[in-house]
Amino acid sequence: MLLSLHRMGPGRFVLYGIGLAVAAFLLLPIIFIGALSFGSSKWLQFPPPDWTIKWYVEFFADPRWIQAIWTSFKIGIAVTVLSVALALPASFALVRGRFRGRGLLRAFFISPMIVPLVIVAIALYALSLRIGLNGSFLGFVVAHLILALPFAMICITNALEGFDESMEKAAIVCGATPLQAIWRITIPSIRLGIFAGAIFSFLASWDEVVVAIFMASPTMQTLPVRMWSALRLDLSPVMAAASTMLILLTVVVLGTGALLRRRQAR
Amino acid sequence: MVDLALPGGQSAAPPAARRKHGVGPALGALIFLFVFFVVPLSALLLRSVTDPEPGIGNYVRLLTDETYARVLFNTFAVATVVTIVTLLLGYPVAWLLVILPSRVARWLFAIILLSMWTNLLARTFAWVVLLQKTGVINRMLMNIGLIDAPLPLLNNLTGVTIGMTYIMLPFIILPLHASLSGLDPSLMQVASISGARPRQVFFRVMLPLSLPGLGTGALMVFVMALGYYVTPAMLGGASNMMLAELIAQHVQTQLNWGLGSAGAFILLAVTLALYAVYVRGIGLGRLK
Repeated sequence: MLLSLHRMGPGRFVLYGIGLAVAAFLLLPIIFIGALSFGSSKWLQFPPPDWTIKWYVEFFADPRWIQAIWTSFKIGIAVTVLSVALALPASFALVRGRFRGRGLLRAFFISPMIVPLVIVAIALYALSLRIGLNGSFLGFVVAHLILALPFAMICITNALEGFDESMEKAAIVCGATPLQAIWRITIPSIRLGIFAGAIFSFLASWDEVVVAIFMASPTMQTLPVRMWSALRLDLSPVMAAASTMLILLTVVVLGTGALLRRRQAR
Repeated sequence: MVDLALPGGQSAAPPAARRKHGVGPALGALIFLFVFFVVPLSALLLRSVTDPEPGIGNYVRLLTDETYARVLFNTFAVATVVTIVTLLLGYPVAWLLVILPSRVARWLFAIILLSMWTNLLARTFAWVVLLQKTGVINRMLMNIGLIDAPLPLLNNLTGVTIGMTYIMLPFIILPLHASLSGLDPSLMQVASISGARPRQVFFRVMLPLSLPGLGTGALMVFVMALGYYVTPAMLGGASNMMLAELIAQHVQTQLNWGLGSAGAFILLAVTLALYAVYVRGIGLGRLK
């Protein structure tokens, strides 16, 4: 009875109330930032005195923002490719391997998710100061790859566990070499898991702030680092415009995901 | 299946079929993580007991100095408050997600996912603007006459708590939802047919049954809150630091690596200890 709405009595209005309040709380900053980015007040007055798109114009006219987006994108792509390239074979070992310490290895592969980011950041900072990785493209890729790997590992391992290995064996019986069987049967069957792992790897890099702050140099900044320094400097409406565009990107990605899932369900 | 000991990965394996299933394919990821994750972390641990001089001086200072003790206290206090608030707000929402008609629940889900996946700095920026002295929240409260002077909501622990609650809510709602939607409604029906009042049904049947989800969610939020850096650094004040900020500051601006890494290892030890509790609670098998 507590799990059905109409039989719950007046208590359900308390639930409605809290639900509405939480939904409003979760939406508040998102809508607010969107509104501010079109407001004409330089001091982020709300409600805005007038509407304008000049902050967006300013954003795209500033080479530092464009540069940061491009840097973030390049790093994200490199991280995605390497992350899948390392996690795919590793998943085969984790799922099908027969060796001692397999469970431990699996826990080890996702451990970068557990260690607080700030600790990963300063440990890598110390290393990269020593070997000269700081502020370099390679340094960013290495740092973000550590954080992206667990996501790729989880997605691909799960997909591989759900794949029926006898299909692969059937292919081998029919004359395929083991590698051919994996390449033409197994990998196409788990492509959704690989795809999800790639998306999560990209996002893990694209959105990452803490490690990037330590890795960044004045000439090499990702988008989150640029936002971080802009935020420290002052509260500018350009930042609101940048945020709104990132929120829109989230909506598009989530919306596409939901559509794909619905199409698949049909 | 018996786990065979395979020294060197392959030598004891039966031919062909098993040979390709050794640890070999994982070596790339293993070596990478070893070089760029295990080695730097170990070097950091070493530094905490050797820099500036060998010994546990850094740890002693961290745990006894009043300023640092205060930082540790702040960190645990904020993490505790955030965990409790997210639980109190998240439980009803997770419950609603189970019982609402799916058309409505889908929208609620969409809102939760949107807030969770929105860029962290964008959300933090929004809260800075909302909470500042001349911000919307203060102005609204003054307009309706609740307060005379603006409340200090930013650059203190209040701001940190609000911002962290916002960020952590989805992380408690989603596991709770998973646990609540697995409940068998007939159990509660039986209880109420047997004469239990709704309040009793909730406290004696539903709440205990949802404890596993509640525990994992709460533990996850608590652990994440302990080590959070961005939100406390942006919404908090210089006089009320949290542990992650202290670590970053010691390393980045004061170049005091010894103290910074000692702080990092206190944080890591607590995190791993709580994580061990978590793994025990849900079983290592589900740790995928």
